[in-house]
Amino acid sequence: MSSQAVTAPAALPAESASPLAGKALTIGLAGIALTVPGIFVSGASAVAHSWLVGVTFWTAIAIGMLMLVLIHHIFDASWSTVIRRQYEHGLSAFKWLGLLFLPLVLATFLYQRDIVWPWMNLAREIHGGHTVGHDPLYLKKASFLSPGMFIGMTAGFFLIWIFLSARLRKASFTQDSDGDLKWTYSNRVTAAMGLPLGALTLTFAAIYWVKSLEYHWFSTMYGVWFFANCARGALSIGVIIMVWLWHRGDYKGILNNNHFHSIGMLMLAFTVFWAYVTFSQYFLIWNANVPEETFWYNLRELNHDGSTNQWWYVGLVILFGHFLIPFLALLSYRYKVTKHVIRRIAYWILTVILIDICYNIMPALKDSHGDAVPFLSLNLVWILTSVVGVGGICVWSYLRSFPTAKLIPIRDPRIGESLTHHE
Amino acid sequence: MAAQPYGLIATFETAPDLYHAAEQVRDAGYRFWDCITPFPVHGLDKAMGVKRSIVPRISLAGGITGFITGMSMIWWTGAYDYQLIVGGKPLFSPMFAFPVSYELTILFTAFATIIGMFVVNGLPMHYHPVLKYDQIRRGMDDTFFIVIEARDPRFNLANTKALLEKAGGKAITELEP
Repeated sequence: MSSQAVTAPAALPAESASPLAGKALTIGLAGIALTVPGIFVSGASAVAHSWLVGVTFWTAIAIGMLMLVLIHHIFDASWSTVIRRQYEHGLSAFKWLGLLFLPLVLATFLYQRDIVWPWMNLAREIHGGHTVGHDPLYLKKASFLSPGMFIGMTAGFFLIWIFLSARLRKASFTQDSDGDLKWTYSNRVTAAMGLPLGALTLTFAAIYWVKSLEYHWFSTMYGVWFFANCARGALSIGVIIMVWLWHRGDYKGILNNNHFHSIGMLMLAFTVFWAYVTFSQYFLIWNANVPEETFWYNLRELNHDGSTNQWWYVGLVILFGHFLIPFLALLSYRYKVTKHVIRRIAYWILTVILIDICYNIMPALKDSHGDAVPFLSLNLVWILTSVVGVGGICVWSYLRSFPTAKLIPIRDPRIGESLTHHE
Repeated sequence: MAAQPYGLIATFETAPDLYHAAEQVRDAGYRFWDCITPFPVHGLDKAMGVKRSIVPRISLAGGITGFITGMSMIWWTGAYDYQLIVGGKPLFSPMFAFPVSYELTILFTAFATIIGMFVVNGLPMHYHPVLKYDQIRRGMDDTFFIVIEARDPRFNLANTKALLEKAGGKAITELEP
């Protein structure tokens, strides 16, 4: 396959990925099925928060893939052409992610209004004895944080992501057969309109889904923090797919060290970017020391009696695990081009992204003292089943799309440059 | 021949000729030699057996120095030499020392990279013996050269000449020192 692949990369036989796709679907459905009993064990609210972690994690990765493909087109990039096709397959997951988000909306309106987002229930009692409906900090934001806006915006996010993905996929897949240059130009138009749209939708999604869990809080860095995780997640999944397809033989003769070096450099750059953004958010709040902002971090460090809680240690895991360890590892050229090492770094980063998303969502669950429910609790089980459940569906969607197009965009005008990518 | 020459220079017509000749010179174990090409030839580093540059290590050392300088400077000025409470903050905290340390990390990394690069590649170099070779200008146009220096421990006028001939080198010339 390898020497043949360079001259005439053949489409993979359709059945080559289908048993795997079936397996992924089974694992996904099993994950979802195992999450359901959690409602009776830990309560509906805890499971809904865990489900939000799972959906947010995989949506972040899908958004990252979308943004990377758009960035590829806006820069007329060459080296990433052979990898872009895998991201285009990954983009097929948006419709399923939209479907998997739906239970949270349904549970909110059919079961309990503040099951996840406290501001959805105007009668909810908050600290100080009054209700959300009489809270001046809510009333100022009421036009933004209203159920109608939430549903409309969330539907809009998914529609925009699905629309952009469909345009990118159609252009790229059709070019394989007709080789028409107009698809390349069409992708540039998609990229030019998609990047601002993508930036706005991912920012508002982060605000509505995650940040509004503590609607008193302010942070102008939130959307950027979310984007950094999106990009890091997508790059890590990209590396895992590259190594997987390399070992399976598909990418032999197509990928060389420089492709791994280049994607590794992007991983390093986004590691620094994530650290810069996350530190800025913490540092400005620490330095200003205003209670409206510091309470968000206090909740993640201290209990009401002043003792350190588990989230303090989770924060340290994020500081060292999400920045320092990947940063030092990715500085090395050898680690970036050694396939099993870069894959291990990718798995590590994905794990820490999940912990970072937990850190942002789960402390919204509070006990009777107003302290954050600890990280190491039964909820961790429902988080893992949710991640496996949503992840299984996403992987299934990728594998189902995989045989429908050629392995690489063979008639992309940049494919030659990409195949001979050098430093 | 009165004095030891600077070395031997051989001419090659095409990039593949040069590439394969470089592999032979590399395999013969020479250390002080170089290729002269009108444009960058990809993969020539490997054919010549050139290792990856040590400049990244110098950069890393510079970065670590910068970070430590930033942290210790702020600790020394604010918490040791002239204790001053600013904004109700502790005398020293890595939080407010971080932005400065971060900037110094970048600054020192940049300095170390630039200086390290010049030290390692030996530039600027105002004179080189190959410049006396009357055909050398073609090395900027359409011809490829391999130069093997006489200071190489394996250098032997007759044997080295034979190696270059075997590798396909034309117009093998002794360079004046």
